[in-house]
Amino acid sequence: MKLAGLKSVDGAHEESIWAAAWAPAADHRPTAVLLTGALDETVRAWRPDDLAAVGPPARGHALGVVSLAAHSAGALAAAVSLDSFVRVFDVDSGASVATLEAPPSEVWGVQFHPKGNALAAAGGGSGSVKLWDTEKWEPITSLAVPRPEGARPDKTGSGKFVLSVAWSPDGKLLACGSMDGTIAVYDAVRMKFLHHLEGHHMPVRSMVFSPVDPHVLFTACDDCHIHIYDAKEKSLIGAMSGHASWVLSIDVSPDGLAVATGSSDRTVRLWDINMRSSVQTMSNHSDQVWAVAFRPPGGAGVRAGRLASVSDDKSISLYDYS
Amino acid sequence: MPETAAEANLRRQLEQTLAADPSIPLHHYDLGVFLWARAEAEQEGDGDEARRLRAAAAEHFLAAAKLNPNDGVPFRFLGNHYARGGDTQRAAKCYQRAVALNADDAEAGEALCDLLDVEGKESLELAVCKEAAGKSPRAFWAFRRLGYLQVHQRKWSDAIQSLQHAIRGYPTCADLWEALGLAYHRLGMFTAAVKSYGRAIELDSSRVFALIESGNIQLMLGYFRKGVEQFRSALEMAPHNHSAYFGLASALLAWSRNCVTTGAFGWAANLLKEASEAAKICASLTKNLSCVWKLHGDVQLALARCFPWVDEKIKRGVDAQMFKDSVQEWRNAILSAANGAKLSYQRALHLTPWEANVHNDAAICLDLIYSMDDNNRHDPNVWELSEKMSLGALILEPVNKDFWVTLGSMSSDLALKQHSFIRALHLDMSLSEAWAYLGKIYRQSGDKQLAKEAFDRARSIDPSLALPWAGMSAENYHQSGGSTVNESFESCLRAAQILPLPEFQIGLGTIAARTGNLLSPQVLMAVRQAVHRAPHYPESHNINGLVSEVRSDFQSAIRFYQQARSALGMMKNSKSDNKYVFADVSVNLARSLYKAGLATDAVRECEELRSQGLLSIDGLQIYALALWKTGRSEEALSVSRNLAENLSGMKPESAGVALGFICTLTYAISGKDSAAAVIHKLPGQLNYSSQLKFIISALDALHPNKRLQLPQLSMPPRLTSYEVMSEVHSNIALGKAIEGEMDKPLRVDASLSYLKKVLHMYPDCSLVRNQLGSLLLWSGDWMASHKAIRVTSLTHGHTSSMGLRSAHQIQASAMVCCYATCTSYPKFSFPTCEHQYLSGHDEIHHLQRWVHREPWNQDARYLLVLAIFQKAREEKYPKHMCIILKRLIMQVLSNASNSHENKVVQYEVFLLLLLSSEICLQSLDYENCIAQAIEALRRTASRCVDTFFAHFQLCRAYAVKGDLLNSRNEYMNCLKKHANTEMGWVMLKHLESACSLETCSDEIYKNLRECIERNGSDLSKWTSLFNLVSAQCFIGDENFASAEEALAQACAEGDPDSCILFLNGATCMEIARRFAAPQFISRAAPSLRKAQQKSHASLPLVSLLLAQAEGSLGSKTKWEKNLRLEWFSWLPELRPAEVYFQMHLLARQSAAAASQQNQLVETMQSPESWLLRAIHLNPSCSRYWKALLQLMDA
Repeated sequence: MKLAGLKSVDGAHEESIWAAAWAPAADHRPTAVLLTGALDETVRAWRPDDLAAVGPPARGHALGVVSLAAHSAGALAAAVSLDSFVRVFDVDSGASVATLEAPPSEVWGVQFHPKGNALAAAGGGSGSVKLWDTEKWEPITSLAVPRPEGARPDKTGSGKFVLSVAWSPDGKLLACGSMDGTIAVYDAVRMKFLHHLEGHHMPVRSMVFSPVDPHVLFTACDDCHIHIYDAKEKSLIGAMSGHASWVLSIDVSPDGLAVATGSSDRTVRLWDINMRSSVQTMSNHSDQVWAVAFRPPGGAGVRAGRLASVSDDKSISLYDYS
Repeated sequence: MPETAAEANLRRQLEQTLAADPSIPLHHYDLGVFLWARAEAEQEGDGDEARRLRAAAAEHFLAAAKLNPNDGVPFRFLGNHYARGGDTQRAAKCYQRAVALNADDAEAGEALCDLLDVEGKESLELAVCKEAAGKSPRAFWAFRRLGYLQVHQRKWSDAIQSLQHAIRGYPTCADLWEALGLAYHRLGMFTAAVKSYGRAIELDSSRVFALIESGNIQLMLGYFRKGVEQFRSALEMAPHNHSAYFGLASALLAWSRNCVTTGAFGWAANLLKEASEAAKICASLTKNLSCVWKLHGDVQLALARCFPWVDEKIKRGVDAQMFKDSVQEWRNAILSAANGAKLSYQRALHLTPWEANVHNDAAICLDLIYSMDDNNRHDPNVWELSEKMSLGALILEPVNKDFWVTLGSMSSDLALKQHSFIRALHLDMSLSEAWAYLGKIYRQSGDKQLAKEAFDRARSIDPSLALPWAGMSAENYHQSGGSTVNESFESCLRAAQILPLPEFQIGLGTIAARTGNLLSPQVLMAVRQAVHRAPHYPESHNINGLVSEVRSDFQSAIRFYQQARSALGMMKNSKSDNKYVFADVSVNLARSLYKAGLATDAVRECEELRSQGLLSIDGLQIYALALWKTGRSEEALSVSRNLAENLSGMKPESAGVALGFICTLTYAISGKDSAAAVIHKLPGQLNYSSQLKFIISALDALHPNKRLQLPQLSMPPRLTSYEVMSEVHSNIALGKAIEGEMDKPLRVDASLSYLKKVLHMYPDCSLVRNQLGSLLLWSGDWMASHKAIRVTSLTHGHTSSMGLRSAHQIQASAMVCCYATCTSYPKFSFPTCEHQYLSGHDEIHHLQRWVHREPWNQDARYLLVLAIFQKAREEKYPKHMCIILKRLIMQVLSNASNSHENKVVQYEVFLLLLLSSEICLQSLDYENCIAQAIEALRRTASRCVDTFFAHFQLCRAYAVKGDLLNSRNEYMNCLKKHANTEMGWVMLKHLESACSLETCSDEIYKNLRECIERNGSDLSKWTSLFNLVSAQCFIGDENFASAEEALAQACAEGDPDSCILFLNGATCMEIARRFAAPQFISRAAPSLRKAQQKSHASLPLVSLLLAQAEGSLGSKTKWEKNLRLEWFSWLPELRPAEVYFQMHLLARQSAAAASQQNQLVETMQSPESWLLRAIHLNPSCSRYWKALLQLMDA
């Protein structure tokens, strides 16, 4: 289990890069494509092995791209901009497919359902998770985050701000993380709130379910820790520490054995889930690392694992994961 | 089946050919094959007709074989014929001949081997296969046969070779793959075995054997999940296969053990329940297999050990009885699982009483049952059942070291324990468990030295054993000294991570409470698990409460403390034993109640404790605090006096804390004077803790008359911690600012100079830097915005929330508050700011990053709006920015609307509405503009916010709309407001003439003067600005003389801005032009010259005007020089036609004068082309056409 730096593109965007996602290989395109979104209000696409730019940058994301998510079929992706618009676009042509408008500051992280029939968005200031269907792009429902039992009064007085969202790989669970550290878990089939997961007390910016144990959830939090939850049994089953500052992003390797995290301490770390410890630290970025993403399996001749990381230093790095 | 016509025809042909030439074997053979096929086709295989045909065929085959003895095929047919006839001897011979002639003949080979197999001639069979295999590498049948035989004979490595070869011939034969898998499996090549089994399953998904075997291998390799999957699919194929059930149960058991070590107890329990079901079914299928019962016992025992207590039912309001019931339920569940285990072990024992380890397992199980069941009181004279069972195991196998350890760990007799462990160590010196247990015994009996030695040995033998770490942790914990406690925490953490026992976890929590590690997630996880594993321990609930409390989850903390008390009530010990523990928990409870805002309940708790005389120092503090909160201040003070009396008897650090508490409380109840009195009463030599210093400095700051000149404050910094000292200094600086009376304006200067000194001392302290920055912005210093940015530093990641303003706020405010337009791109405007603060664009990105980092932070969004607005203003309100701004403002407003109390928020709302109004005005939407401004007036009470600018905005809007009446009204409103902003008055002056309102400039000027005096701001700067505006008004009225006068005044004030100088020059030139007054040209020239020198970027038009002035004054070279300057001060795409025209003039001059100077700009092109370009840019100017005519004439 290790990472080896393959390539790094400095100045990939004109400004800080904030989001990255892999659009998986599809029938019409043999390889996966890396999408990145940045403060310079563009989304760019990159080839998977040499990080050569694919097509011109897609513009029109006012004030910067906050979050990116790719549809599991590989053709579509969604980008959230700071002015609370979600633009759904065709990965290859960059053409808009739909523009979903949310009330101001009511959308942040997005994720497609693993089967691809819904798009979930962390509802920011609305304190909820919003769901759209992916056929007509109409809102399905909005799942509110209830206040936890006996919660402390909110310090900022501005309600809960929901930052991140994650689907379990079997599509049965949906989790969302908020700025005060609460994580809400929903039954995604019956669209019902199940329970909160406790343990974090600062913003939870990123989370991901394990691909092998569909109820194991990994979370990244500003309190510098990574937690492992049994989301079904509502228990904290592991915690990993080592970052010197906020953990901004997390992704799990396709084999389910490792997670990678990006942090404000400018490093990317690789963690062994079984050992509950950090096995490698990459410090090639010179500013905080806002997103890490493992390439999904599948596609022509793709055996090797790939990890991409993007940072405020305007660069993209690609690593070999083996 | 009778012969058909075609067949008859064929036979005739064959017979004829044979008759034609009977010496050719092929003809015999062909006819034989035909007859044989006919015989096969007969309906009755052994009917007379068939027999007849076969006999005929055999004759022909025989003839063929005789004629050509080197062809094997007829022999094979002969063999078939004899085999059918039951003559195995001859058949075998014929087959042998066939195989010997052609080793690749699979049919003959298989038939021969089958014959041999039936007769049990295995070695012969082997020999035949080997021979065939040796003869031809393509004799795959032989390799296959050989492989199977070798597998049968357990010659695994030979079998692998044969099977691999055979697979080349039959790559899709699942049997071969399965056999290969088995061979690999037996040789211990597990990965290869898994692959082979996998291939077999792939080819034929109903391979139960392959599924089960590969499941077993996966289990052995530790891949429980895959193992479980495989056993499950085997069960789908064969629902009554007991080995699949056995495998499933053991896989689930192993998986659950893995879960337990990571702490996922709920998960483990679920897996174990499933495992128990599987084991039960397996037992019902096999009945009398001891190992199945043992497996079931193991599963049940594991379940009993990891079954978690679930507190789902207890939500609110802990009822002691409910808690008790819940714990009892949990205990019963465990007991029933343990009893189930016991029963299974009993059955296993019944079946195989000679198995020592079942005895041992039963002993362990019994021990668990005894430890869980409260009703069993141990009678020292009777041997416990578990001890007995353990001894039984030992009698069967006296040399098993593990049994000795088991006996030692469950015996209650100290001597027997020690004896057992020592016996175990006799058997194996490096048995780490025995050493660890021995250490535990020595520790319990107080023999520390021996305990330490034993633990050290255990740890050095096996560092992954939890117990020695725990022992070392306990050792360190009781020693004094800061570092050892941390070591103790580390050791205990390791112990709890290796083995998540509730005892270790509670210990970890206790140590964490002392070392301040309660926030660590590892501790949280351990303590939560401890509660689930040991709900009957009061300590687990208590620590759990502490953990929740430290995470500010007070409601849960209260619930946990109450549970702890209920658990205490369930303890068997007498009440008096638990008295102090009870008091501790109650104090915790009171504190949480207070923190959760339930002060009355907290008071009640404390009073109850007090009545029992159990109120400790901590309790007293909470009591006083809660009393104060409930409004019983007098009582609170008396309690705090009570506390003060006890101060001398305390440890110094807790005394310091208590003292700080008393001061703060006294201040809160009876004000600063009494608090000061408390401090004065302090013994002088008392070594102040840093917190106390902070309190004193804060009091000092609030106390303008400086009665607290305590020497301790100015102590050298080495003695106290860095953070607190910087806070103390920040307090002192604030104190300097509010020196004198409270209602006077702040004395920012004194504070600033103090802060500068502090910064010199602590150069990397962001708190001081931020405070300095915000005070600078506050100070109204003309250049504050530039200085503030220099002192504050933006750090990444953590933004310090300390201080008056964050670094981001300071930077953003500085960007917005620079009066000069700072655009870096000269397309929109020209920067006149002398200090070149040109990082505005970058600053917006900083703010966007901040919003991205803290999307919930409304301050960040608000500042972003301001910054973008500033940019929009500089870029003349482009449409897309207006749209973004409108959206952003709506967003911030929608979030700010819910807090009406806060003055700052009110002001922000007011400002945002005005911004929104301004954007509407700029996009020519007057109705909305007015509506927004009125909304701003409506939403904000005038006592909180100075509404001057709302009226001002309305006045502008009405004026633009042409509604003079309303405009005038608003103007008067503005005048009445006595706003405290200089800028407001200056701008109002502007409006006065723009709306052609009656002149009250005197009044405005008066107001401005008052305002300047009140704020102590720079008189000359503001006067010159005011004069500039007046001049602009005069110019608007075409009153150039007055304008010139005003501008001259403005220029005379101190250090005028370049734009004032420029306007002065331009006005002079205009007067000179209009009124033909050449004396003004000489006035214009110096102003323009100064303006040119002062501005950093070269201002356009200045040079042009200066060129004209200089030209008029008779200096041709200066005229030329300035015209060239003018050319370069424009961006290429922005140059107006006039510049080209001037260049044409210049070109004509220099073309006439000196053509060799071709490096000059004007010589780049001919005068004609300059002129043509000018005309191209502006064809409507008749001057250019005239010049062109002249040029053509010339």
